[in-house]
Amino acid sequence: MNATFRLATLLVFAASLFAGVTAHAQTATDIVAATDKVRNPHAPFRSTIRFTQYVQGREREHDTLVVFSKEDPATHQFRNLVQYGEPARDAGKRVLLDGGSLWFYDPSSKTSIRISPQQRLIGQAAVGDVLTVNLVVDYNATLLGTEKIVDAGRTERQCWHLDLKAANDRAVYNHIEYWVEQGTFNPMKGKLYSDSGRLLKIVYFRNFTPRLGAVRPVEEIIIDAVDTSLATTATFSDDAFQDVPDVWFQRDYLPRLQIN
Amino acid sequence: MWRGATLLIASAALWDSGALAQNAPGGQDRDLDLIPPEAVTAGPAAAGAPKVVNITGDRVYVEDAFTVTSQRGQAVSVPGPAPFNWQERLFVDIRKEWRLASPLTFTYSGRVNFRAEDDLAFPTHENLINDLREAYLSWQPSGRTYLDLGRINLKSGVALGYNPTDFFRTRAVVEPLSADPSVLREDRLGTLLLRGQQLLEVGSITVAFAPKLYEPSPIYANTGLPSLNPMLDRTNAGNRFLAKGSINLGDRLSPELLLYRDSSQTRFGTNLAAGIGQKVVAYLEWSGGRRASLIDAALRYGRDTGTLPAEAPDVIPESSHASFQSELAVGASYTTESRITFNLEYHFNQADWRNWFAGRPASSPAAGELWYLRNFALDQQYPISRHSVFLRADWVDAFVPRLELTGFVNADLYDGSSLVQLTADYYLSDHWTAGGLITANSGSARSNFGSLASDATFMVKVARYF
Repeated sequence: MNATFRLATLLVFAASLFAGVTAHAQTATDIVAATDKVRNPHAPFRSTIRFTQYVQGREREHDTLVVFSKEDPATHQFRNLVQYGEPARDAGKRVLLDGGSLWFYDPSSKTSIRISPQQRLIGQAAVGDVLTVNLVVDYNATLLGTEKIVDAGRTERQCWHLDLKAANDRAVYNHIEYWVEQGTFNPMKGKLYSDSGRLLKIVYFRNFTPRLGAVRPVEEIIIDAVDTSLATTATFSDDAFQDVPDVWFQRDYLPRLQIN
Repeated sequence: MWRGATLLIASAALWDSGALAQNAPGGQDRDLDLIPPEAVTAGPAAAGAPKVVNITGDRVYVEDAFTVTSQRGQAVSVPGPAPFNWQERLFVDIRKEWRLASPLTFTYSGRVNFRAEDDLAFPTHENLINDLREAYLSWQPSGRTYLDLGRINLKSGVALGYNPTDFFRTRAVVEPLSADPSVLREDRLGTLLLRGQQLLEVGSITVAFAPKLYEPSPIYANTGLPSLNPMLDRTNAGNRFLAKGSINLGDRLSPELLLYRDSSQTRFGTNLAAGIGQKVVAYLEWSGGRRASLIDAALRYGRDTGTLPAEAPDVIPESSHASFQSELAVGASYTTESRITFNLEYHFNQADWRNWFAGRPASSPAAGELWYLRNFALDQQYPISRHSVFLRADWVDAFVPRLELTGFVNADLYDGSSLVQLTADYYLSDHWTAGGLITANSGSARSNFGSLASDATFMVKVARYF
């Protein structure tokens, strides 16, 4: 009996060790790179993002953006060109987010002003939260362990728990806690921190469905951790692969952008 | 060794079980409890529903604004009518683009104002004013080449409070509701011109020519505005040429160089803007060239347009000597984690005066010329002082969500007087905005801002966007 118990215990230990080795065979960088591929297609594309803002749980306001994204082969980071459609007072405003080249164009004043990375995060519909970014380029990742977490749909997921620290000054956030589902590499949850270590936002990814050639999250729920009465959903639609010329990613193209 | 491995596995298991306990179903995860139930139940089918959304960038809105002005006694009396005590303005503002046939588009931007004031008779044609800001055709003969023809607002500059390289700003601002420089850029008339632009991999080149169509006209008074006349005499009273090019030196810096020529002067300019770290953008805008002093230019313009008598004696000393003179705006923006953006700028205008009436006689007939200088500078959009400091703060979601507060102070470094404005906009919904502003001119009676007739302005407004 004792021998049987000891054997069983050893088997359990061995199995556990094997499982642990398998789970950690992926480096943190591999995991982040793989989940980047889940979120972002490789080819240039266009997408429409609709933000719905909730104040104290009640739907209040909407923002709609059209985003053109293209990966820069030199940096492996995405270049983004954004136009606002909603709300009506902001219609036509445009933002260029290309590495350190960040410009905001207002068609009413017909002027382009350079903005700082911090200004990407202003407003509930902060474009910095949803623009196409390869996290592996801008962050150094560390694997903290594995966890079972509950996703936004209240389903348990076995996840890698990662810690991402900004590797350069193009990183939107100073520090991110990131949960990625094992096996699928689907991003599940993120906690986004400022330079001062303040928790700014909590993001849940949900509704994984086919879009742009793979199964990807169609919706993000962004909770304002500073004012927890505020939450925003970002929903992707009207996706299409599209050629986006390099010449679009400069300040002087902003007034020329036309949306079909 | 086994013992060590056992401990490792045990601790990992504990870690996992602890995490599971924290995140277990049943509402124990406080993060999950922050998700609005409506957001989860709505799902993408509802939230991102195939709603018709304006993605063309067109904007149409109606706004009603009521303004009252507080007047005060002045060191230099104002010849002619005083500013209004109250004004009611209702306007429709449209910015729209039509694609006629690829690759040809037509752009219209304008505002139709209905206004009533205590200094205007009612009804009169001056109650209705149509501001034709832009109307032009754009043709894209190739993927990177653009040609535009028509009335175009051609703007340049990277600074916020004052743009020395914005050469087409002169005489273009029409009856603004706010003194905020960002609003002044919106409420202005374009110039009838032909523009060509070539986009390159490393930057762009733009050339523009605006022909002379009218002789220079007198400065418009608030009570003398035409209803439907597009006022091309304000924007096309001389031949003007602009060439500018920008080059991308990495993603941190893309300097712009400008060359401007009109009938009396050639000016050069540059715009530089660079990000510094996560929160700061520094910028510099400069223009320079040979020209006469502002006093000389103003008096000559007044005599040419018949506003000042041609044979009138010079009660204000002037110099016709032209020299190389610079205009400069240098500053930086800083954005906090609490969503406030500050812009601090220093402005320098070598052609300007230190104090517009310091040491000069304040009684008639000098008063008329003094006020003419002042109005000329305002009409030309020159700073009121040679040295000034501009500080602006914009706070998104101030105190409560969707309340935006904007304030700025423009301080004259010579006499310490200042223009101060505070604006509040509350976004009631996707379509409605309500707001108000307070503007004050502070300083002693003989200072640049303190000498103005209006010491404070109050405005309330409501806008409906479509």
